[in-house]
Amino acid sequence: MSTFSGLNTAYRGLVAARQGLDVVGQNIYNANTVGYTRQRAVQTSVGAPAQVGPVSGQISVGQGVSVDSITRLGNEYLDTRVRSSVASSGYWGVRANELSTLQKSLHEPGKGGLSAELDVMWAAWQDLANKPGDPAVGAVLLQQSGAVATQLAVGYKDIDDQWSLLRSQVDGLAAEVNTAAGEVAALNGLIRSTLASGASANELIDQRSILTTTIATLTGGSVRTLPDGTAEVLVGGNALVSGTSAFAVAVSGSASMAGAAASPVSLVWADRPGVPLSSDGGEIAGALSMLAPGTADGTGGVLAEAAADFNAFAEYLVATVNAVHRTGTISDGTNATTGRDFFALGDGPAALGLRVVPTDVRGIAVSAPGAGGLDGSIAAAISQLGTGPGSPDVLWTNIVTGIGIATRTGLQQSVLADLSSTAATNNQRANAAVDLDEENLSMLTFQSAYQGAARMMTAVDEMLDTLINRTGIVGR
Amino acid sequence: MINRVTNQGLAVAAQRNLQQSLQQLAKMQESASSLKRISQPSDDPSGTAESLLVRSEISAVAQYGRNINDGNAWLSTVDTALTGATGVMNRVRALTVQGANDGALSPTQKEAIAIELETLRAELLTTANTQYLGRSVFAGTSDAGVAFTPDLAFTGSGSPVERRTGASTTIRVDGDGTAAFGEGADSVFALVDSIVADLRGGTNVGPRLTEVDERMRAILGQQGAVGARQAQVLKAQGANVSTSIALEAQRAGVEDIDLGQAIIDLKSQEVSYQAALAVTARAMQQNLMDFLR
Repeated sequence: MSTFSGLNTAYRGLVAARQGLDVVGQNIYNANTVGYTRQRAVQTSVGAPAQVGPVSGQISVGQGVSVDSITRLGNEYLDTRVRSSVASSGYWGVRANELSTLQKSLHEPGKGGLSAELDVMWAAWQDLANKPGDPAVGAVLLQQSGAVATQLAVGYKDIDDQWSLLRSQVDGLAAEVNTAAGEVAALNGLIRSTLASGASANELIDQRSILTTTIATLTGGSVRTLPDGTAEVLVGGNALVSGTSAFAVAVSGSASMAGAAASPVSLVWADRPGVPLSSDGGEIAGALSMLAPGTADGTGGVLAEAAADFNAFAEYLVATVNAVHRTGTISDGTNATTGRDFFALGDGPAALGLRVVPTDVRGIAVSAPGAGGLDGSIAAAISQLGTGPGSPDVLWTNIVTGIGIATRTGLQQSVLADLSSTAATNNQRANAAVDLDEENLSMLTFQSAYQGAARMMTAVDEMLDTLINRTGIVGR
Repeated sequence: MINRVTNQGLAVAAQRNLQQSLQQLAKMQESASSLKRISQPSDDPSGTAESLLVRSEISAVAQYGRNINDGNAWLSTVDTALTGATGVMNRVRALTVQGANDGALSPTQKEAIAIELETLRAELLTTANTQYLGRSVFAGTSDAGVAFTPDLAFTGSGSPVERRTGASTTIRVDGDGTAAFGEGADSVFALVDSIVADLRGGTNVGPRLTEVDERMRAILGQQGAVGARQAQVLKAQGANVSTSIALEAQRAGVEDIDLGQAIIDLKSQEVSYQAALAVTARAMQQNLMDFLR
């Protein structure tokens, strides 16, 4: 052991304490940085050099301390849980949002809804039954029936617009995935080269972790960290990011609700457009589930099913009112005819094409054949269509209740998914976030260690001073 | 490891708790100010279904109320007309009795009676053609304009005018023209014409009294029927009012919030929000640096 090794050992202690303090500083400065994972300087004690040769057997102490690395105290398991829970919360969040918008467009229950318009229309039929042939009452009925048709068309249009808006949002989400995937690939390259050079890539890994969480929110997917430090992002079992290359995704399928049945909207690989990508979570999957086409058993996409319900309602209203209206007579002054329609459907979706056929009171069949010119029995019968188990009102109530239940379920699911993602994020944060008290203690410890090492250096220095300057001057 | 508490975790948790508390407060405020329990179907889907049903019933009951008022007006008109007709018929009977005194009356006096009878006949015809809002109340659903033409033909069709006073009840609101006044040669007008002709032709009108009484009974019978129907309408009106009150109570029960409950909820939520704020302010203040030199 050399005479001067004590100085070197003390110097190592000083450096270790300073590095420890630097890491404490980095932690404290980033206490509020999003996605920052706390770090720790890993110190190891340095043993005494191996002794060889004839003078071995001498007892010697170790050579102080060395800082081996600065570790990032993240936990892969907790990160994985966060990613899977945000995927689920993204999925249900989009659905809950869209369902809330859908049910708001119904304006039920209240005075602005279709049910209120229907009630007024049935009442107008009864008014006309009381005053058959009255032009003013007839005009009120025609105007009110037109209002029902308009309300239905506006409701349908709202759903159609919502579909189109969501469709364009999905394109935006896919673009976000591609951007994030590209950044992850770039960071992979940086991290790999940084680690290869032996430097610390902790901050880069933090950034990559934020990006993979973003990808998980958008499409679900899993992340696998490889030994070289790069991360592989898998979506639906296929690599979205592998090493330094990212594979772009795209959204294919119809741009309008009408065409969705023929070409459903789906997420595909940009370079293989025919191959759909099955992501089972995330906002994109939530949006795609809302955009799905309707099915015969009513279990398709919520928006398409709601639109189909609107059409079914329009068709049912036309069928029930016309069935009674056709039995009544319309007189043009000279001869009376029966079999005329009150409502008619245009081309395209029934809810959009619903219109009122008569233009004035003379076109409305109010009287039964042969019952006198001022008979109102047909109008009275039509006014009664609004009540009873098979009425259009009941059908409408069922539609509203169905959407209400779906929305309620969606909101509950969203709350539950949020709860689980909050819990997962909390756990992650509990593990990875900076605790200022802890850092303060570390600061104290390293400060004391630094002071101690400096004192040690002084002691060695004084010892050497004694040896060099005082030795051999005995009795002088 | 999981139980580790960090400053960031504490801050985020506090912020989330405050946010939740504030959200709850906003929800309470909304329900307390709108006083609606259901503002969207998802608030209570089955309540929404009930609410829609009740609202449509309220609308129907309001319409029945209008029908009842209209029917009541019709029946009052018919009743007034029949009362007028009874008065006229009483005078016709009195004049017929007077005209039957062959020995005591001079032809001039008989002619005076005949002239008055002709006036009464015209009045009767006007009464039989009484209209309500442009419709003959004795002509059923006919659109001919008058119930009895000048040549005494009845224009009314067979089907009665009815008003719906409830989900399953309709009440006839017009008068039966033929039953009250007869038709053609059998009609009350033809009868008066015959009395006038008898008076002028010197035939004793005494035997006509039975026919006059018969027609009077017919009119009174119709008046009784109309009165019974009007009583039915009035009863329906009472029932309608109480139904609409019951429905409104039902609607309020489904849709509306209890004000006292809403205010208590709001107040307690306010208190818990304030508590959350105070606790957060205390917990966030401290850390080790406060105690280190």
